[in-house]
Amino acid sequence: MITEDCLAEVCQAAEKHARQADLDARFPEAVLDAMRQTGLLGLMVPAEFGGGGGTLTDLADATIRLGRVDMSVAMIFAMHCQQVVTLAKYASEQLRAQVLPAIAAGQVYIASVTTEAGKGGSLLMSESPSELADGTLRIDREAPMVTGGLHADGFLITMQTPGATSPTQVDLVYAARHQLTLETRGDWQPLGMRATESVPMHISGQVPDWQVVGEPGTFRAIATQVFAPVAHIGWAAAWLGTAAGAYSRVIKHARSDAGRRQFDPSSQLVLLRLASPRARLDVVHALLKHAICVVHGQQDLSAAPVQTLLNTLKIRAADECFEAVSELLLLAGLRHGYLTQSPLCLERTLRDLRSAALNYSNDRLLLAGGSLALMDSEVRLA
Amino acid sequence: MNAEFVALLRPYLKYAGDQEISADAKLRDLGLDSLRAIELLFAVEDAFDVVIPDEQLTDATFETPGSLWTVIEKLSAPSLDGCA
Repeated sequence: MITEDCLAEVCQAAEKHARQADLDARFPEAVLDAMRQTGLLGLMVPAEFGGGGGTLTDLADATIRLGRVDMSVAMIFAMHCQQVVTLAKYASEQLRAQVLPAIAAGQVYIASVTTEAGKGGSLLMSESPSELADGTLRIDREAPMVTGGLHADGFLITMQTPGATSPTQVDLVYAARHQLTLETRGDWQPLGMRATESVPMHISGQVPDWQVVGEPGTFRAIATQVFAPVAHIGWAAAWLGTAAGAYSRVIKHARSDAGRRQFDPSSQLVLLRLASPRARLDVVHALLKHAICVVHGQQDLSAAPVQTLLNTLKIRAADECFEAVSELLLLAGLRHGYLTQSPLCLERTLRDLRSAALNYSNDRLLLAGGSLALMDSEVRLA
Repeated sequence: MNAEFVALLRPYLKYAGDQEISADAKLRDLGLDSLRAIELLFAVEDAFDVVIPDEQLTDATFETPGSLWTVIEKLSAPSLDGCA
């Protein structure tokens, strides 16, 4: 069972290591260790496999908490949970029995490998062929960004279905670290999200065919029903937590002795600048909670109103959370907003949140939104 | 599926090449993405004089030529029977 104490322990570790991990652009291994030891890594593993049996609400709540201290940690956690939920729902009996108890025991942290050069970020395509011979699947692919790739114990990898005749025939394959040869192909020096250490990698190896998740060629359905919805919910929670944490630090500062000298509560400008981020966060929070309810209540998530809602969650959470922190910087001023040494950490938070609109591009989702709008002339609201 | 329908499909399926388009082929595998699905929808509605209701515009309808053809047939059935 995941208790408040477990979460508090992981948050404490995240807070302790956030600044250094950002400075070094290195994965916070101590925080991952805390996730392993507290059982948080197994939050979304069904109880029958020894996990926390968490719901999407539990996932969002835990991710928001982590985001309040370090957005990189929150994204690492949310993406791991996305892989776990997908395995729990679609993996073969054999794979579930092998991997899920190990995740619950804190032994397996899973990284996601879906990026490829040259496909414009499309999740539903792969240019990487796979070969199947005598029940063994051969993997050999480049991956330009693998969050936590150097530290993961298992990987969920998108590949072309063996014998595919088009790049839209895609499989999701689980591979344990010992089944792969991993080569780092470059450094990781980004603007923000530095502690995700999302290095470029070359991944090769062989796995038995029962490690394909779901029926061959069905990744699109998996993506529609679970992989993308859980990603959007997890990311939105990470961004919301990040902005909420920054907002809380600013307000606590404003109420401190030093802050009272800086912020005059009788100033209408100060009051307006304090109010606006809150409204943004409440909107994202409401959207997140509603999206979770809709996902829980729908059998088929492919309908246009549901797809639109899930995309809107991702797009608006990315934009509103970034804007909220951008406003907080103006409110806090140069010293507490812009300087890296400020305990309010607004500068790091802003850099981290700049990635949100790019982390599965808002533009790509808006394009899909135009098509979805034409599929829904009644404008049914999910 | 009639020949007119199959001929109408082909320009939207960039990976179909010259191969025969069977009723159970996966349209997504043949290259139908969400943007092209809208263009196909408009073409189908024009060619067969039907309007596919919103609730039937799902992944299941656009899964195969057969699934799309079934929807078109059902919508055009009354007029074919002279009951429209």
